[in-house]
Amino acid sequence: MRRHPVWSWFWFILGILYFFIPLVSTLEFSLRMLKGRYTFEAYRVAFQDPRFYQSFGFSLLWAIVTIVISLLLVVPTAYWVQLKLPKARPYVEFVTLMPFVVPAVVLTFGLIRMYGRPPLVLTTTPAALIVGYVVLSLPYMYRSVDSGLRAVDIRTLTEAAQSLGANWGTILKDIIFPSLRVALLSGIFLTFAIVMGEFTFASLLSWPAFGPYIEEIGAMRAYTPQAVSLMSFLITWGSIVLIQWLGRGARGAQIQVGGAR
Amino acid sequence: MAFLDINHASKTFAGTPAVRDFDLHVEKGELVSFLGPSGCGKTTTLRMVAGFEVPNEGTIVLDGHDITNKAPSQRDVGMVFQAYALFPNMTVGDNVGFGLKIAKKPKEQIAARVKEMLGLIRMPDLGDRYPYQLSGGQQQRVALARALAIAPQVLLLDEPLSALDAKIRVELRYEIRRIQRQLKITTIYVTHDQEEALTLSDRVVVMSAGEIEQIGSPFEIYNYPATAFVASFVGTLNQLRCRVVDAASGKLALGGQQFTTTALVKTAAAEVLVMLRPEELHMGVRAGDNSLTGKVESVAFLGSVVRVHLKLGESVVTLDALNERKLVLPKVGEDLTVSFPPHGCWVLAGA
Repeated sequence: MRRHPVWSWFWFILGILYFFIPLVSTLEFSLRMLKGRYTFEAYRVAFQDPRFYQSFGFSLLWAIVTIVISLLLVVPTAYWVQLKLPKARPYVEFVTLMPFVVPAVVLTFGLIRMYGRPPLVLTTTPAALIVGYVVLSLPYMYRSVDSGLRAVDIRTLTEAAQSLGANWGTILKDIIFPSLRVALLSGIFLTFAIVMGEFTFASLLSWPAFGPYIEEIGAMRAYTPQAVSLMSFLITWGSIVLIQWLGRGARGAQIQVGGAR
Repeated sequence: MAFLDINHASKTFAGTPAVRDFDLHVEKGELVSFLGPSGCGKTTTLRMVAGFEVPNEGTIVLDGHDITNKAPSQRDVGMVFQAYALFPNMTVGDNVGFGLKIAKKPKEQIAARVKEMLGLIRMPDLGDRYPYQLSGGQQQRVALARALAIAPQVLLLDEPLSALDAKIRVELRYEIRRIQRQLKITTIYVTHDQEEALTLSDRVVVMSAGEIEQIGSPFEIYNYPATAFVASFVGTLNQLRCRVVDAASGKLALGGQQFTTTALVKTAAAEVLVMLRPEELHMGVRAGDNSLTGKVESVAFLGSVVRVHLKLGESVVTLDALNERKLVLPKVGEDLTVSFPPHGCWVLAGA
């Protein structure tokens, strides 16, 4: 039974409208700062604020640190689970999904309770924030890496490297990380997009990140926050487009990995 | 003590024995193949030599050193896998040189060795390609070169040709043997393909259900199988239930027709199983040979061989005749007399 094409188009257009009307309205609104004409005045004002650059810079730095830690944590874990502990996979998957189940507010208070008092005080440094971001990135990073690992015959590649004299460190560095390039990039960009826009952690732990900055100017000004949100949205979108683009380029290489042709 | 000793090795996976009391001694420069159906323990045994599995019992001694518990990376053993397992992110040259890079050999030395290896596998100009740009056969050649580049003491091949097309498979089979002979490298070759095992090996180890059935040269394995399993697994075989007429003189009967065998019939039973290779049978009568007459059931022309199925009483006998241009093919339904020498068959008691 085929549905009538008119209905397919109806739902498609409805979806597009649902998705784009808020965006277009935000854009339209952000251009109306000066009365009676469309200008980029709101953007000019946004770019003039030194706190824009500061908060953006902070978030950028923390995003990079988060990505590095997340990679070093997730890749060896997922690799080991795939290779030696396939039975542990459901448990690891469950743990990585926790950020979807536990609200960010609860997670933050957990962090404050855990790291806000001796023996380990981290809440005075951005470390607690980064710990939170790593947890937040887990579902995206783990899933990307895991699907990448499954696409490659990781066991045989590992054994081949071992028989050539490689140790675990070399195998991870020279074989596993490079074979997972596309999967890693998608994990990296998703994490990047999340950290750049994150609000709850940064706000509750009171760090001057990009998310709270948008929120703050949102409370005080009318036009600039629209411009900034739109830019933040473009960062996310840009990341997704990059994943798609890089993924297409390297797909040929990844398909060939699966052993016998 | 041989070059590579596998001394009474056993391996159990979660209570299920995979290999039992595997005892084999491989001489330097020898190519030994492990032949058997899937699940017979041949790959597990190979993986114990490679170090990917540790035997529960027994030892593995290479060139006088006990390597039973050594890590795979410390064994000086080269391995080629069924799935090629080339590193997808590296060029052919980098793949071949990987083991030397790990061993921290100087750059010039690696480059020279890679060049030498690519020459050995007859792919001198493809060093800059990536694995996905190569055919399956080429990939497996590169995998072979990579395993050999580190000049291992033992080369292990785990069903290296199973993933390839029939034609490439035969071609590469000879290529592997040529290279192995040239380098005089001690090699273990795991396969489920009897033709591969017979053509390649100095010695064949036939395995079934985790145990060695027989160790011998291809000629011995084929013509003098030690067990019923070896007899039926290697080659095509007629297994004929025959009545014992006179055990002392080797007189037997098949479907009412008598014949003699020089094989010992040491049983008091009324019936025995007679094993007869299809190529021992000839069409027509030959002086001094046994002859039997049956009805032709089917005639299959296979090219170099003509395969005839003959109904003899209750049994169906397969005959292979070599093709020649003047050969007269028997017709289905007609009677055909076939002959075989008394020494052409062997007898299993307890049938």
